[in-house]
Amino acid sequence: MSIPHLKDDELNLAVLGEDLPPEAAEHLAGCLVCVRRRDAFLAIVEMARGADPDEATRARVRERALAAWGATNSRHWVRWLAAAAAVIVLSLLPLLRGRAPAPQIINADAVMVEVDQMLDRDPLSAVAAEEIVDTVVPVSYESGERSVS
Amino acid sequence: MASVARRETALGREDERELVEAARRGDRDAAEALLQLHELLVFRTCRRLLPAGEDVEAAVQETLLRALKNLGRFTGEGSFGAWVVAIAVNLCRDRLRRKRLVPFLPLEVRDEDGRNPLSAIPSSEPNPERVAMARQAVNRLHGEVSRLPRRQQEVFALRFFAELDLEGIATALGVDVGTVKTHLHRAVQRVRVAVEEARP
Repeated sequence: MSIPHLKDDELNLAVLGEDLPPEAAEHLAGCLVCVRRRDAFLAIVEMARGADPDEATRARVRERALAAWGATNSRHWVRWLAAAAAVIVLSLLPLLRGRAPAPQIINADAVMVEVDQMLDRDPLSAVAAEEIVDTVVPVSYESGERSVS
Repeated sequence: MASVARRETALGREDERELVEAARRGDRDAAEALLQLHELLVFRTCRRLLPAGEDVEAAVQETLLRALKNLGRFTGEGSFGAWVVAIAVNLCRDRLRRKRLVPFLPLEVRDEDGRNPLSAIPSSEPNPERVAMARQAVNRLHGEVSRLPRRQQEVFALRFFAELDLEGIATALGVDVGTVKTHLHRAVQRVRVAVEEARP
């Protein structure tokens, strides 16, 4: 009695190296046709896989990745350092403020009284001398020229 | 077939966890050791998830850098390899989405230098006809994979090209193992039939 060859799903299992039903496994063990079908497919897959990259290529790619990672790590430390410095400065800020002279409290009303008194004495004293000259007597008039337009 | 799980066994999960911890503290040697352990996985993933002509090296470099920058987010629940591959898959998806590229190699396979890698198969072998058929089958495989739905493409690539195991694929894609199996079986069925049709 001849045992039928492996069915498609059984052959797929064989190709994937998975467990076959006992009868199918028994058949495969003694059937050159089915073994060849399985092995032929695996051989084509092996050829399709192609050659792996050579060691030089692998090393080059690995080194680049490591270098980029190293640079990132360095920046990482710089960021931590900057953050630590910021924390220290912020924590010292209240102390520095404590030592600074207390802000002078200005009495706005007193200042305004003083300004009024000054303007009463001389209205132009609050304005710089050069500005007064430029505003009141333009340069072109000083030299005697006059715009025709 | 070497899986991520098996590769990690060689180093040991505990050793790897120590490397991750040391790298988190800024230990460059530990970071380098981690990359050496998993970079091939990332190369294979990016090469198969990006179309020909895309800068695979840049994608791998970016993936490795993202992994190092985000070491703090690795919980250690799944394998580190699957976690890195997840970063690679997301990066490739982003690039494809941004450029609206069609993933995987076209029918005519070209490598980074624009050459057909299958031409490396010597045609002066005793049976050039078989070699030609093999080339045709490989092209057929790439073509069929490129026509699979995106999730099936990813699962197929991670299983057969990146050589991740089912759990690794599930972790990388953020789905359960059952979903991975379903996609994988559908993908294998389609691709296998197409490849067999290309053979005599």
